[in-house]
Amino acid sequence: MRKLLKRPDLGIIIGCLFIFALFTLYDPAQWFNWGTVSNIGEYTAILGLLAIGQSFVVLIREIDLSVGSVYGIVGIAFVGLENNNVSDVLAFVLAMLLALLVGLVNAALVIRGKLSSMIVTLGGLFFYRGLIYIITHGAVTGVPQAVRQNWFAQLLGGHSLRIQNGFLLLLILGFLCAVTLHETRFGNHLLALGGDPASAESRGVPLGKVRTIAFALCSLFAGLSAIVTLTNDPETSVSLGTGMELEAIAAVVVGGTLLTGGRGTMLGTILGSFFLTAVRSEIIALGAPPSWYVSFVGIALLTLVTINTLLLKRLRISG
Amino acid sequence: MRAAIAHLVRRHPEGGTVTLVVLISLTFAIVTGGSWLSTGNLQSLSQLTAVLAIMAFGEAIVIATGQIDISVGSVSGIGALTFLGLAPVVGSGFGLVAALLFGVLIGGINGVFVAFLGIPSLLVTLGTLFLFQGIGYAVTSGFSFAASNVVRKQFIYNGFGGGTVAGVNTGVIWALTILVVLQLAVFEMPVGNRLLAIGGDAASSFSRGVNVTRIKFGVFVVSGVLAALSGALDAAFIGYADGSFGAGMELSAIAAAVLGGCHLAGGRISLIGTLLGAFILRGIQSFLIILGVQPQWYILVVGLIVVLAGLADRTLTRLVLKR
Amino acid sequence: MITGSDGQSRPAGSPKKPLISIKNVGLSYGNFQALTDVSVDFYQGELVGLVGDNGAGKTTLIRIISGIIPPTSGEVYFDGERIIKFHPKKAIDLGLECIQQAIGLCDNLSVGRNYFLGREPVRRILGLPFLDKKKIREASAKVVHDFGLRDSVDVDDEIALLSGGEKQTFKIARAVTFRNRVIIMDEPTNHLSVRERTRVNELAVQLKQQGLLVIYITHDIFQIHRIADRIVILENGRKVTDVPRDAMSAEALEGIIRDGSRTSTKEPKVS
Repeated sequence: MRKLLKRPDLGIIIGCLFIFALFTLYDPAQWFNWGTVSNIGEYTAILGLLAIGQSFVVLIREIDLSVGSVYGIVGIAFVGLENNNVSDVLAFVLAMLLALLVGLVNAALVIRGKLSSMIVTLGGLFFYRGLIYIITHGAVTGVPQAVRQNWFAQLLGGHSLRIQNGFLLLLILGFLCAVTLHETRFGNHLLALGGDPASAESRGVPLGKVRTIAFALCSLFAGLSAIVTLTNDPETSVSLGTGMELEAIAAVVVGGTLLTGGRGTMLGTILGSFFLTAVRSEIIALGAPPSWYVSFVGIALLTLVTINTLLLKRLRISG
Repeated sequence: MRAAIAHLVRRHPEGGTVTLVVLISLTFAIVTGGSWLSTGNLQSLSQLTAVLAIMAFGEAIVIATGQIDISVGSVSGIGALTFLGLAPVVGSGFGLVAALLFGVLIGGINGVFVAFLGIPSLLVTLGTLFLFQGIGYAVTSGFSFAASNVVRKQFIYNGFGGGTVAGVNTGVIWALTILVVLQLAVFEMPVGNRLLAIGGDAASSFSRGVNVTRIKFGVFVVSGVLAALSGALDAAFIGYADGSFGAGMELSAIAAAVLGGCHLAGGRISLIGTLLGAFILRGIQSFLIILGVQPQWYILVVGLIVVLAGLADRTLTRLVLKR
Repeated sequence: MITGSDGQSRPAGSPKKPLISIKNVGLSYGNFQALTDVSVDFYQGELVGLVGDNGAGKTTLIRIISGIIPPTSGEVYFDGERIIKFHPKKAIDLGLECIQQAIGLCDNLSVGRNYFLGREPVRRILGLPFLDKKKIREASAKVVHDFGLRDSVDVDDEIALLSGGEKQTFKIARAVTFRNRVIIMDEPTNHLSVRERTRVNELAVQLKQQGLLVIYITHDIFQIHRIADRIVILENGRKVTDVPRDAMSAEALEGIIRDGSRTSTKEPKVS
């Protein structure tokens, strides 16, 4: 029991159970509808992938505000390459290399430039969004029907046993990341760096390397999330991914990861994404204007962060 | 020589920004063949700068204490919508007061969470950014509020952004007034000394008897009021506002503050620098428009500038703190 | 009223009222008991060494005395008056100054602004409180000069430009010149060179001779035994020893600290 209470994701587990019970009682017809489940699964996958990447960065006490724009530019690069007759697999690889490059640039500016990650990624947020406008000239682009039907698009955007492949991908990657975080040396280094950088360094943790990997993973996940979105619904616009950075951070934090680093779980992050997505779907189903969702994200963020912070204070005090 | 530069930089953190302002002003004037310096452009540029600067002043005060306020974009939106929404009903005077009160309220919410509950300011203001953005959309439900002809003739409306004095938008006068007031408060009064002290080392300030909680709360209220005022001034200038009003402005405000020499770590800010930072951002924007370049290049350039300003700042600090 | 460093280093004369009186103070954080039933009196004009191992409760006791945290049980009296509201500002107003290892100076502020932080002198212009920069500059420059800091130190420079020893000296100087009654020094000689250390210890003795109460926290019993009038030892949040300096040798006291389980409660007699 005590161990459960100390879990950083306790808040979101309760939160998810609560909304599950609430929606089941309140609106079962809408809630247990395959269309709804499928919709929630799809968007949870997109937000969840972004949020998993963000978790790595938040766990080392940094932040990546550029993921929304990175999501956009990687997605646009992917679709653009496909439309220029590059095969999907190659387009995927090239788009992911772009994501990796962005992550490495962020890391280099933070480590070598000794800048705060907020500044660096705030700059990235603007820069890549500007790049999107300039490259696309504001045009909306889609992918030909033929491309949509091939095996690669089906692999990332299709269904298996009526479940979204993107959602399965989220579960698999989420599991792998959780194992990495809690069972490997790299994960230990990551948590140590987030908990106490000075001590981590004194124990020989290669700070630069761990930071670089965290930023690279964050951008890669953002890119992957965009590609999963676009294989499913292949239409891009200049606003692709706008505001997603804030939603991803909200999912991470709602999931119980501390912004002060070193404490958090991948399960919490995925549940956080599910929580936000499920409520969004219900808000739309109830006929409320979609803008209420934005307010809801704000309230959820404030409430859960407050609960998490106060819980943590209690735990710290009682040793 | 280096010691002399270090001394200069130490006393005048906005020195780099001033140099940049002079350089880009000259470049822009020459490249555009003088049209960047035309009265029309300078008039619109000064109005745009003023609105951004007022928001950025609030941001700078928050940054001074080592916190951040990213809700200012939404707060300015709420300020604009309240002002234009209520002005036709209760007159622009009460409309303005209501807008400012909303600024106090939202700033107060931020302040309670940050100062009294100890929640990181980035998260709190991220939460209120979303919360009030959604409310802004919900209130307008896709439409926009416009100032009626009656409202446009009202004195308060013209005095707060809707009109001009000697060709200068009244918003500019407010920006300069606020600059003077804040400059005196931050650098010439005890409260400013304590504010900067908190940003430098909150524990030490507390041990010297500084009321850290109250000051942290206060800066968020100031930031909220200024953001709401900025929104109202801009809305009065434009004459209408919709749910997306102010969206994304928080990032420009932070960029202006950083560009102006404010350290995100807290404790070192420059308000004059912040004004110049806002001027540079808006100057580049108007330059690109005059050149006929896609205005979206602006976003890209802002991104580059934020990072470069950070790097330059880093180098200067290292120079300054060398014994 | 006060005897100097002539060996007879208890407050002399008739029974004196303690300046600070701690009565049965306890402090717990949840299940963790940081202080248990600690009672100790401090008198004007004495230099008390507060000694103990890491985690013994020295710093916790000091944080209570300087108003940073309230105790969970017990009472604290200052000059005979019970303290109800604990806040650093209140302690400072009562004339109590705490010099801590890591905190007390804001690196981003100038020397002058640090000197007056929390009690800035003002000039009223139109009823508004403006900083009296002339006074700030002159007063802090005098202190910098009097306490022998480098001549090149400009009071308008950020304090980050001073060295560790200079900062410590500056903190002590600030404590002294504000006419305080109590100076608490928390491990004041950590990270200092041998010369700087001697200088700080000399300052501590001078302060006592000026009639102030000096509470000096350290875990170096040999260092404090040379200068203190009385030694109080804390162990695991309890007071285990409270003796005049001359009553026990430094070696014997060190034995008590080393052998934490043994408790000795020799209350000093206040004649």
